[in-house]
Order: sequence, then C-alpha cells, then structure tokens
Amino acid sequence: MNTIVCVKQVLDPEIPPAKFKIDPGTKQVIPPPGVPPVISVFDERAVEAACRLKDKHKGKITVISMGSAKAVDVIKHAISMGADDGYVLQDPAFENLDSFGTAYVLGKAIQKIGNYDLILCGRYSADWGAGQVGSILAEILSIPVVTFACDIQAVNKNLRIKRIMKDGYEVVEAPMPSLITVSGEIGLPRLPGGMGLMLARKKQIPIWKAQDIGADPSPLDKANAHIEVTSLSLPTRKTECEFVTGNTPGEAAVNLAQKLVRLM
Amino acid sequence: MSPVSATYWGIPGYVIFWALFAIAFGIFIRRVYFLIRLLGLGKPENRFDQLRQRIIDMLAINLSQWCSLKTVSFKDLSGIGHALMFWGFGVFLIGYVLFMGLREGFGISVSSAGSLFEKIYLSLMDLSALLIILAVIQAAIKRYVTKPERLERKEDPKEALIENIKMISLFTTMILLMLFYYWMEGIRYAFNNITTSWPPITGALASFLAGSGISQESLSATYKTIWWLNYLLLLGAVVYTPHSKHLHPLFSSANILFKPFGSKVVLEPIPLEALEAPEGSVTLGVSKIQDFSWKQLLDLYACTWCGRCHVNCPAQLTGKTLSPREIILNLKEHLMEAGPELLANKGTSSPEVQPKTMSKTMIGDVVAEEEIWACTTCAACQEVCPSNIEHIRKVIELRRNLVLEQSKMPESAQLMLRNMQQRGHPWAGVQSMRLRGDWTSDLDIKVLTDGDSVNTLFWVGCTGALVERNVKATLAMTKVLKASGVDFGVLGDAETCCGDPARRAGYEFQFQMMAEQNIEMFKSFNIKEIITTCPHCFNTMKHEYPKFGGDFKVVHYTELIADFVRQGKLNLTQALNAKLTYHDPCYLGRYNGIYHDPRQILEAIPKAKLEEMERSKEQGFCCGGGGGLMWIEEQPGTTKISHMRIEEVHKSGVEMVVSACPYCLQMFEDAIDHKGMKESLKARDIVELVEESMKKS
Repeated sequence: MNTIVCVKQVLDPEIPPAKFKIDPGTKQVIPPPGVPPVISVFDERAVEAACRLKDKHKGKITVISMGSAKAVDVIKHAISMGADDGYVLQDPAFENLDSFGTAYVLGKAIQKIGNYDLILCGRYSADWGAGQVGSILAEILSIPVVTFACDIQAVNKNLRIKRIMKDGYEVVEAPMPSLITVSGEIGLPRLPGGMGLMLARKKQIPIWKAQDIGADPSPLDKANAHIEVTSLSLPTRKTECEFVTGNTPGEAAVNLAQKLVRLM
Repeated sequence: MSPVSATYWGIPGYVIFWALFAIAFGIFIRRVYFLIRLLGLGKPENRFDQLRQRIIDMLAINLSQWCSLKTVSFKDLSGIGHALMFWGFGVFLIGYVLFMGLREGFGISVSSAGSLFEKIYLSLMDLSALLIILAVIQAAIKRYVTKPERLERKEDPKEALIENIKMISLFTTMILLMLFYYWMEGIRYAFNNITTSWPPITGALASFLAGSGISQESLSATYKTIWWLNYLLLLGAVVYTPHSKHLHPLFSSANILFKPFGSKVVLEPIPLEALEAPEGSVTLGVSKIQDFSWKQLLDLYACTWCGRCHVNCPAQLTGKTLSPREIILNLKEHLMEAGPELLANKGTSSPEVQPKTMSKTMIGDVVAEEEIWACTTCAACQEVCPSNIEHIRKVIELRRNLVLEQSKMPESAQLMLRNMQQRGHPWAGVQSMRLRGDWTSDLDIKVLTDGDSVNTLFWVGCTGALVERNVKATLAMTKVLKASGVDFGVLGDAETCCGDPARRAGYEFQFQMMAEQNIEMFKSFNIKEIITTCPHCFNTMKHEYPKFGGDFKVVHYTELIADFVRQGKLNLTQALNAKLTYHDPCYLGRYNGIYHDPRQILEAIPKAKLEEMERSKEQGFCCGGGGGLMWIEEQPGTTKISHMRIEEVHKSGVEMVVSACPYCLQMFEDAIDHKGMKESLKARDIVELVEESMKKS
C-alpha cells in the first residue's frame, strides 16, 4: 500500500502568545528568533496514520512538503517516524500561494511521484487553519476525499474511515486511491525510534523546483489567486479566573460541571 | 596428636583429609565456574582499563572495610559488625591455610611451635574469634530482634522460611567454628602442658583443662573429634557459600574492582553501527537478560541483600513500587532461571532464542514498566551500596529499549522527548515560558555569532533560559560573573539542550546527536572552558561529552564563586539575616562530590545562618526532578518526592531553602506553592543570594 502524505512546516504553536508578532504592512508573521519551525500538528498525525497502515500492510510512504529549504527538517521528521522517501517543493514561485495554488503544486508533485493508493493531509494547518488544500487537491487529482478521519483501515482493497463528527463519529468506505484528511483524535504521533532517527539523519532530501514537477506559471501567478489577505492582526486575549468552590469536593465538581454546561 | 597422621578404619587420615577437600572444593569450583559462565552470556564491556589503580582501590576499600563502614550511623551500627567479621575471618582464613592446610595437610610448618610469630598470630586468632562471636550475636539481634526496615522483604512464606533456615544455620556455623577453635587450641595447649596468658582465652581454657585432671588419651581423642568436626563444618561452608548470597566476599570484591571511574553513573553510548546491523539482530538498550554487559550481570551476584538502597530510594520512600534492591534481586533470580538454557543454546545457530522454560518477559514480568519510570537517577542507592552496584545504568538501559525499540513510555515522557527532538529543549508548553536568548536583551553581554572566538562560555541551560523563575538566577549569574571580571560569552538563541533529559529518559540517539552538535559548536567558537549553572548540564558535559570528542574544562558556578570568595575577588557585604538550609543537588553532590563549595559560599554571606537538614551531603534527598522526572508524571496515588523533601525543609525550621540547581528550584517552588507555605518558606538559588549580598548599599 503506497501512501503520499502532504505536510507543512509551521511556526511553532507553542510560542508563548506574548512573543507572537506580526508585520501589519506585509501582512505576515515575524518568526521569533531561536524557535525552530515544526511540522504542523495535524500533518504529523497524518504521518502517524500512514505509519500505522504501513505497520499492518507494508508498502511505502512518501512525504512532500511545499515551503522553504528548511522544510527538509519536517520531511526528515516524517522519515524518522517511518516514512521512506520525501521531497521538498521549493521555488520562489511557490511563495505565499493560497490554498488553490498550494494544491496545484502538491498535485503536480504527486502526479510526478505516481503509483499511490492513498493521499493523506492534516485536517487543517496549525498556522492559517483554512482546511482547504486537502479537498482542492482531491478535486485536482480526481479522487474521492474523506475529511476528519480519526481511524483508517484498509479492508478488502477499500479504505474504511472513521470520521469524527460533532456528536460522535461515522464510518464510511472509499476506494483506493482516495484522499483523506486526518484529525487529532487519531492519537499521539509516535516518538521516532532509534532506527528512524538515524535513517533520517543520513537521508538526502531532493528539492523539486517548478520545472521539476512541470508546473505551469499561470496557476502560480498571484494575480490568479482566489484568496486575498486584506488585513492581519493579533487576537486580543482576555482571561478571567474564577475559583469554583463547594463545601465538599463533590459539590465543587457539580458546580463546575454546571458552569461548563452553561458555557457550552 | 595430629588428626591427619592417625589412621581411621584402616584409612590414613591424610587420605580422608584430601578426599574431603577435593570433594568440597570440586563442588565449589564447579559452581563458581557455572556462575562465571553465566556472566559470559552478557555483552562485552571494557572494565579492564587502569588495572593497577583498580586493584589498589579494591584492596583499599576492602581491607579498610570502607565499603561497610561508610554507612555506619548511630541508627545502624551493623557496618562495624561486618568489618569485625571481615577482619576476623581474614585472620582465620590465613590461620586455616597456615595451620590446617600447610601444617596438617602438607606437613609444612611456617613457624616452629612456640615461636614469637605463632604466639602473636594465635593471639590474634584468639581475639578475632571473640569479636566474630560478638559480631554474629549483633547480626542475629539485628535480624531477629530489632528488625530494621532495610532487611524486610515481601517474600512468600516458603522462601522466607528457607532464608531464615539458611541464616540461622550460618550464624550457628560461625559461632561453632569459633567455639571449636577455642576448644581445640585449649586442648592442644593442655595436652602439651603449655601455660600462657597469650593467647588469653585459649590460655585460660588450657589451664582449666589441665587442672580438671582429664587424661591425655581423652584429651587427644576429643581433640581429634573436634578437629574433624571443625574441618567438616568448614568444608560445608565451602560447599554452601557459592550457592548463596554469601559468595559476596568474592563477587562484591570483583564488583569493586570493576567499578566505573569518573562520574557516579557511567552510561555507555550506543554505537551507531548498531543501526547498520540487520533488523532484529541487535537490541537497543536491554530487553533480555543477556543484553546486559557481563559487568551489569556481575552486579547481580555482588548484591548482599543489605537493603540500604531500598531504604534510601526516594521513589520507594514516597510509596512507589520501585525498589533498587528488588530490581537487582529479581534480575538475579531471572538470570538463574534463564541462565542454564541460555548457556545450552549459546553457540547454536540462533543464540538469541528465548529459553523454552521461561515465559517471562524481562520488561514487564521481571521489572515492571512503572518501576523503570519511577527512578530519578538520584544515585542515593549507589551511594550507600557497599558493593558498588550500578542500579541506575540498568534502569537507563531498560528505558532505552522501551523508548528506542518498543516506543512504550508514559505520555508525559513522550511529550518531553518530542519537545527535545523537535524543539531542542524539554520545556515547550509550559506557562510563562520565555524565548531562547531573550534574557540577553538590554544586557551588555557578548552573544556569540559565527566567526567569534571566546575562551570561556557561560552555558545557561534550558531551564535557566526558558523558565521565568529560573531566568532570575541566570541574570544574577551574569552580574556575578561581570563583577568578578570574568570575560565570557553566551550562545543566546543558538543554545540548545545539553541532552541530559533525553539521555536519562532512554532517548539515547537524540542525546548523542545533541552532544555532537554542541561539541561541534563549542569547537567552532574555540571554547576552552564552560561555566554551567545547571548540575545536570555540568555532569553531562564534564563526564559524558568526552566520549564524543568534547574535552572542555567544565566548571559549576559554585566551584567558581567559592574560588572568587576565597581569593577575595568577590566581596559579600550585604547581610542576609535569614536562617537557611542548603539542599544538595544530586548531580552536584553525589555525582560530583561538590559539597563544600556551596556551603562555603553561604557561610561567606554575612548573617546567613546555615542549618543542615537530617538528610544532607552524601545522604541528600532528591528533589524529584532528575532523570527526566521533572517532566514525567510521578506514579499516581503516591506522595510527590518534592513534597516529602519540602516537609523535611520545613521541619528544619528555616525560612529559606537554597539550592544550586534549576530543577531543584522549580520543584521546590511548586511544592511550596502546593503546600501553602509561600509566606514562611522561600526557595532560592545560591547565585541569587550572592548577587544580593554583593550589592553596594
């Protein structure tokens, strides 16, 4: 079973909020010094999902990431978890693309890799959180898409997917190949083992430019973008602290539960 | 009157003597050979370096009995009894060889009867016998009357009964051997009509027998009977010891001979070639008993069941299931069970086969995972162990297997290790976290950039750079360094973790990569000397980096400041006016023997009144934060180690607990907060007090 996982390198979400800065002029985030970017949370879970399928059914995992040359780190991270190969898609033309442009580039790279049974993406990225690339990519590749997976099984040449819903889950089946976006409920990603760390360390990660994947200039042209950022501002945070009390721990718990119910 | 030259049932005495000797020593050697072959199941490890020094150390420790005397306290005097037995039996052993083996067995006399040497030596034996009897009585009282906690074990009744029978037989044998000795010598003196006051007890017994009018024939016959009984008893002991823990004079001594040099806990890197080997052919860490090195297996034989580790382990004392003693004893039992079959399979096509008789998995059935994750690596166990057993090394080897091969660890450990791997430090997700290097802003400090060269680096460490409370100590440190005229640089946001939490949690490759990266960086700045505030960074860089090619002079700041105080470079003038106690960080004290310098600094601060806690210096009690446990959740339902320690601080009646380690500071801040002691007790770092005391008014 061959899987391709699309991963994104993002600014570390663990940065203390007070240290998070943006440049309103360029409408971009200013990365703080000394904080290495990391793999986007849900994308890492997508890698985990791919690894679990590989543990059971063998096959090959290929990871691609569009971004700067530093994205080599997230590819290596995926390889340390159990992926076999990886490519970084880096080109000045790829910078600041919207979801459509990104999906186009990823689609071109996936077509170049070829021979896949499953494409995995995170449900949305930890930075912009648009959650669109997966669905657009499926459209480009003309394959089915299933979103918000919390469990993926390969059953009789089909994929059986447990989808997380607001009030529970549903189970659907899709043929191979399909694209699935992975949700956090799939569980903690594995810690790379000794073998993985060393494999990743040695692995050379090729970098593909626009011409390597045969990308046309027009979908990459910013003038053709579907999304425009009009302004960017920091969210204001307000915290209120209230101690929920009660005469007994049980009573306090009841009071707390009531408050939570009201807030929901 | 020689028993050996007589004839018994037509058989010459010496034939019986040597036949019995051959049987007993045959059994002894066979057993010891088997035990040594079991050691051969282990992996190779070089502990034969500096052999001369090793032999000198072992003789010094053994002959002086420092091994058992180092833990003597008013509460536990048994070390003295042990020393008396050791010296007493040493004298007897030589006596048995000289007077029984050589004189009776071979007919060789090393000294003529009545010579000065013989008089002195027999007097020595005479007194030794008395001391041995007293020591045995003390041991028996200890075991059956006062019953200290350390000797208690949860065993099934059958095993406990067998153990009791063994111990009682042993005590009886030792006392009988001594009584037989007096009796034999008394008769010999009486038979030969020697009256003497030296040896005193033998002499007195001889005069009593001479005066009692017993005939020469009965004396001679009795002598022979006792002589043979004594001989049988001795040979019985020779047969028994290698089948029991009482072979420890041999294996504990060997263990001291092969003890680690340098730091208290020596961890071996996993060679990277291990990963080149075909999958399944190499185990990362230890998952089967034969994955341990021979030295780690020797540890198991060296255990004397004294239980000192058990009663000093902070995990055990706070109600966790971990007991360093039980780990050692359970592993030994496992080795004994699995060993024979492993030996039989050794050399066959697949040496790694699991013995059929054994359904036990080592991690899980022999040592439980929760025990493995409860260790703070504080080394209290190793400090008190009379046999230099390396408990911590084993725990780390087991963690390595869990993390690197099985990917099994508590979630909290996994989160920390993921942070180490992705972010280069263990602190992500912590409230009030700072950004690496942001503490340097607005300070006139040399932050190293590419191409810089500096002799001395101030290595801040993750906690000192990232955690708000600890940054205060870092800032104090920079002021102290400047005031003392030290020319230093810092790495700012280029600093990463030294790797210690990864290594202690078993994530060895992550540690090795970090060590290599750091060493490379230090070399690129031509750094020769590193000053650290964190004892964990200190220990790692001082003792563990050299194995990766990083030989730097590593100094802990307490050593440095103590030096400045002694040289008068730092004048501590502001009075502190507080009663305080010093908590020894494990990695500074036990791991590196730095007990004096921190205290000297505190004593140099005017009006600081230093009180010692009951558990301090070598016996210092862990704060609970070492070995990765700063981030790994303690076993639910048990007391937190830091809470127990803060109670001890509280009991000492001080208003300030001072440490020299960022982990201790963190743990104490938390514990003080949790216990609601914020008003009455403050946690401080020494360097903060130093900085305040040097301020000009």
